[in-house]
Amino acid sequence: MKIWLYIALLLTVIPLQTTLLHHVTVLDVRPDLGLVVVCLVGFFGGELDGLIIGFILGWSQDIMSAGELWVNVVSKGGAGFVAGLAGRHLAHITPMVLLIGLGAISCLSSLVFVYSMKTSDWDLMWHAFHSKALIQAVLDAFIGAGAYWLFARRWVTDPFLQQDRL
Amino acid sequence: MAILRSTYGSKRLAVVLFALLLAALFLLPSQSQGVLQFLGGPIGQVLSVPLEVFSSLDRGMTEIWEGYVALRGIREENRQLRKQLEFVQGQNNQLREATVATQRLEALLDFKQKSIPDMIAAQVIGRDATNWYRGIILNKGEQNGVRAEMGVVTPAGVVGRVVKTTSSSSVVLLMTDPNNAIAALVQGTRDEGIVEGTRSGRARMKYIPLLSTVHPGDRVITSGLTGSFPRGLAIGVMTHIQQEEGDVFRSAELEPEVDMTKLDEVLVIRSPYEEAEASKKMIPGMPGEKRKP
Repeated sequence: MKIWLYIALLLTVIPLQTTLLHHVTVLDVRPDLGLVVVCLVGFFGGELDGLIIGFILGWSQDIMSAGELWVNVVSKGGAGFVAGLAGRHLAHITPMVLLIGLGAISCLSSLVFVYSMKTSDWDLMWHAFHSKALIQAVLDAFIGAGAYWLFARRWVTDPFLQQDRL
Repeated sequence: MAILRSTYGSKRLAVVLFALLLAALFLLPSQSQGVLQFLGGPIGQVLSVPLEVFSSLDRGMTEIWEGYVALRGIREENRQLRKQLEFVQGQNNQLREATVATQRLEALLDFKQKSIPDMIAAQVIGRDATNWYRGIILNKGEQNGVRAEMGVVTPAGVVGRVVKTTSSSSVVLLMTDPNNAIAALVQGTRDEGIVEGTRSGRARMKYIPLLSTVHPGDRVITSGLTGSFPRGLAIGVMTHIQQEEGDVFRSAELEPEVDMTKLDEVLVIRSPYEEAEASKKMIPGMPGEKRKP
């Protein structure tokens, strides 16, 4: 069951991100659905699921992006792993916890992009961070927390967390 | 469900493999990039199927919106377009006259006829998957003859260049991205420079000589000296010219000729100078030359 869910996510998230999501922008910045999905997989499925799905999703995203072919592999894989660790060590996940956690992970993953710019121009790096990374972090956090809230309302999440965690 | 369920050992193995990958990416960046690109080919091919589906869905929704809902103000727009058409028709007559005169002079000077570049038509099926680059995804890839570094245009002007390809799709870095640079010249004054994208999503021409007589409204075209574009393709119109005290060059902000937010179909330039390539093949002794029987 879970493997089919993951395959469905891998096949829909990137096409959705590249085709329909450019209609939903705030100050020309789109949420990173891939990151949101990877973090949710990490929270619910554990470190290994987060790492593997993050790696594959990041790779797919890199193939469909003009950037270098490692940035998303590293940032998404790392984000999935960190989300898994956080999910394991937090006693009770609430939408508010997820909101803050996702915002922080999104900011951290954006730092990988800023690093990949290979520039020593602090002005450029700061501009990239506050004009893109922060807005994206807010969007990611709200979408992730909203998705979690819907998910938690509809299904009981505890069994999934306890039994399927790796 | 059981596939990703693992023991502590397999989790440790996955983490070690990821750490090794990280080390390879940082120690051997170009080699590991090549391997990832090669191995990612099948992933790109698989992804191109849902991408096409979502893209056609997006196109359908846009058509409905633009065809039925967003029709407010169409009468005013129509009136303005008619005015513009009259102006362009007048300009067209003048240009036709100028073309005849140029052809006559070219015949007198025995100039070589400029050939039309070899192009591949492609459809835009998506935008860059991240917020960090201004790029588009095309539905044509290596199996259609698209390769990295090829130029991409529309009839209105330059769009960008191909940076990544899979067998059935390719990624184009737009001209308005700060990581892109195109050799250009000012149509009126023939001053050469480099056009780069800006953070705000427009373009800037750099390295214009101080003594140049450029002014806002001048058109900028490709110079054809380097890269994948033939000479004479429209890039943009100068809107603002800047010169800081102590600078040895001037720079100018450009309004791109192509509206990058409304790209549906584009042309990929397979070979900017078909005739030049063909004539190169005819020169005996050139590497890779196919001798005619």
